[in-house]
Amino acid sequence: MAENQETPVRKKEKKFFLSNTITLFIVLIVMLVFFSLTSESFLSTYNLVSMLSNLSFYGIVAAVLTMVLISGEIDFSIGGNIGLTSIIAAILIESGVNGWLVILLCLLLGAAIGIFNGFLVTVIGVNSIIATVGTMSVWRGLAYTFSDGQSIMAMTPVIDFLGRGKVLNIPFPIILFIIIFAVCYVVMNHSKWGRKIYAIGVNPMASFLSGINVKQVKFLTFLFSGIAAALGGLILASLSGVGMPQHGEGLELTIISAILLGGTALGGGRGQILGTLVGVLIISVLYNGLTMLNVYYYYVQIAQGVVLVAVVATYEVRQKRLQE
Amino acid sequence: MADNNNVILKMENITKTFPGVVALNNVSIDLKKGEVLGILGENGAGKSTLIKVLAGNYIKDSGKITIDGNETEFKNPGEAMESGIRVIYQELNTLENLSVTENIFLGEQETKTPLNIIDWKKMEKESRKILKQLNIDINPNTIMEDLSVSEKQVVEIAKAISKKGKILIMDEPTAALSEEDKDSLFEIIKTLKEAGVSIIYISHRLKEIFEITDRVTVLRDGKKIGTVGTSETDSNQLVTMMVGRDIQEMYPKREVPIGEVIMSVKNLVAEGIEDVSFELRKGEILGIFGLLGSGKTSLVKSLFGANPIKSGKIYVYGKKITIKKPWQARDNKIGLVPVDRKLDGLALMLGVKENITLANIQQLGKGFLIKKAVEREKAQRWIDNLDINTPSMNQEVNSLSGGNQQKVVLARWLESGSNIIILNEPTRGIDVGTKVEIYKLMQNLCEQGAGIIMISSELPEILSIADRILVISKGRITGEFKRGKASEEKLMQTACI
Repeated sequence: MAENQETPVRKKEKKFFLSNTITLFIVLIVMLVFFSLTSESFLSTYNLVSMLSNLSFYGIVAAVLTMVLISGEIDFSIGGNIGLTSIIAAILIESGVNGWLVILLCLLLGAAIGIFNGFLVTVIGVNSIIATVGTMSVWRGLAYTFSDGQSIMAMTPVIDFLGRGKVLNIPFPIILFIIIFAVCYVVMNHSKWGRKIYAIGVNPMASFLSGINVKQVKFLTFLFSGIAAALGGLILASLSGVGMPQHGEGLELTIISAILLGGTALGGGRGQILGTLVGVLIISVLYNGLTMLNVYYYYVQIAQGVVLVAVVATYEVRQKRLQE
Repeated sequence: MADNNNVILKMENITKTFPGVVALNNVSIDLKKGEVLGILGENGAGKSTLIKVLAGNYIKDSGKITIDGNETEFKNPGEAMESGIRVIYQELNTLENLSVTENIFLGEQETKTPLNIIDWKKMEKESRKILKQLNIDINPNTIMEDLSVSEKQVVEIAKAISKKGKILIMDEPTAALSEEDKDSLFEIIKTLKEAGVSIIYISHRLKEIFEITDRVTVLRDGKKIGTVGTSETDSNQLVTMMVGRDIQEMYPKREVPIGEVIMSVKNLVAEGIEDVSFELRKGEILGIFGLLGSGKTSLVKSLFGANPIKSGKIYVYGKKITIKKPWQARDNKIGLVPVDRKLDGLALMLGVKENITLANIQQLGKGFLIKKAVEREKAQRWIDNLDINTPSMNQEVNSLSGGNQQKVVLARWLESGSNIIILNEPTRGIDVGTKVEIYKLMQNLCEQGAGIIMISSELPEILSIADRILVISKGRITGEFKRGKASEEKLMQTACI
């Protein structure tokens, strides 16, 4: 059969993804144009660079978490993880531990958190929403416990570089962000492991009966999500110069919003790393632009919710029309 | 035959098109009071569309529907129900957590004044009456999930006739039933007939058509081929009408030399399996027959690492192997085509290509990345070899016909190099034409040195295709028959031990 003889169904499906991405880009461009016209400082290099540096830490988490969602699971504990990591990093720095060692230990902590979540979900069989909503509050609580509710200074050269350093005049977190997105993109679109994640998300039973180690794959996505959140916590501690038990509070919902905005389906099987990238950009531009316009913070939150619901509603409407 | 006084339903020159497809082309049927009219046709012949037009799910493009002499126009299922039309779909639509009574009266609860509260007593009494009328012993207070599949179906029938249904449409009602349950269903149909209910009976299975219908209308490619009195026809004529081919061609059997033992199972005990031993030889198609709940599916799952083995040994090519997980089965060149291909076999939202390579992702190039060219080449090879009818290898597998989907699952295991292939109900829900292809394919595989274990509850199929048949009942092998030595009666008897 000739490759070019695609049927309407497949074309529709392609069109579906294409038009979703186009919708997203249009939303992004409209927002960029709007804020450029209404705010003088929005389009300045300073503002754009600082916006990108600030979104890097959660963009990294969003990229990795997209894999968890495509596999059909979810990880709500990333926000708590970020808070706890920032505190542990600050405590370690305070007690004079070498910056490199701090990074290593914090990433190990993230790995341990990921392993624990993965263990709950794949070995014990706890639903991932319940498991990670539970652990979210455990990590957050530990962050408050260890810090006694206080912010702790987290300044040491290596850590400073992580959030505020520059390579070729580009802020280091942006570089990390680009690298991690690129890696996730390659993994999800070109790797064997990524294929397994998609297959599991679409049909875990068929994947299992085809000899895919479903639990192992899911376990690893949790492990990576734990490490990514810890990295996010380190960058945030570095950006702000302090470890704070409140770091990352509510961020899990912002990150998951960005992923869903990017077209990933709750329940798995469908989603694109590039979609998440645009989703993260949209949410950041929205926050940044509205803040530039001196819009009250409460309204910014309303706007974020409206954008998420409106865009995802267009996906659903389009999907329904396609099915008819 | 045309006794117009007796005709309760007339559908005349019904045409229904979908973008690019004429699903029904000038189809006319008529149904008499107290009659069972069979509708026979391959997948895609237009049976479902016809039913959906009658049930008000689809609006016809043209044509006329007359009920009791009055021309009617259904705009939605509610209006069709008003006219006394009831459909029992293949997939049961019962609410599992409610009682039988609640299901029967769903949406139409009896109430009593003054407060319009639900009259449980009356409903229970009515339910008892209806169930008794159907000659079935079910307590109306039982919760649905405690009933067997066939009992649930009876409840659906009770629900249908409780609301003054006069035309009952049954879409493949025996698909999930064992032979025994089928018999009791047919008893119910006979009772309903006597009560004056007219029934449209849709089925793939010729044997049932002969057993239960008065007349048969055959559809092919959206057109009506003809209507014949059941007693005036035979399977040859019906099959010819249905597919334009002869019945002897339906179960082609090629003799393949049978070689050495390639798999041997000794005293296998697992969930649902008491003590099973058997051998499979090279070139052999080993049939396994059993009723629902006999342990046949548990057996297959244990052989494939999806049902933990408690004790017993499995040898493949004389070597003892351990199968705890499906990948161990795969690595020992065992393949499984599960009974429910949509639920357990395919990743429906992925393409044909991705589904073919699903069991062998690791073989798609060296290292971490998938080599797309390698994958395309592998997929194309199986699309060509098995003649999978798909517009492209990227086609979402969801949109393929049942037969082509089945070929995709089979291709996966061929790509995996499996030489012990387990097929659970290989031709369920597949049209006659593709069935024949699947049988030929199985025999090709045997010629190439594979051994096949085929679970089937379709008696003509297992009797004609399998070289040897094992009958399983209550987790034990209760009989073994060589090809030609078994009969439908013998298999049923052994299966009920």
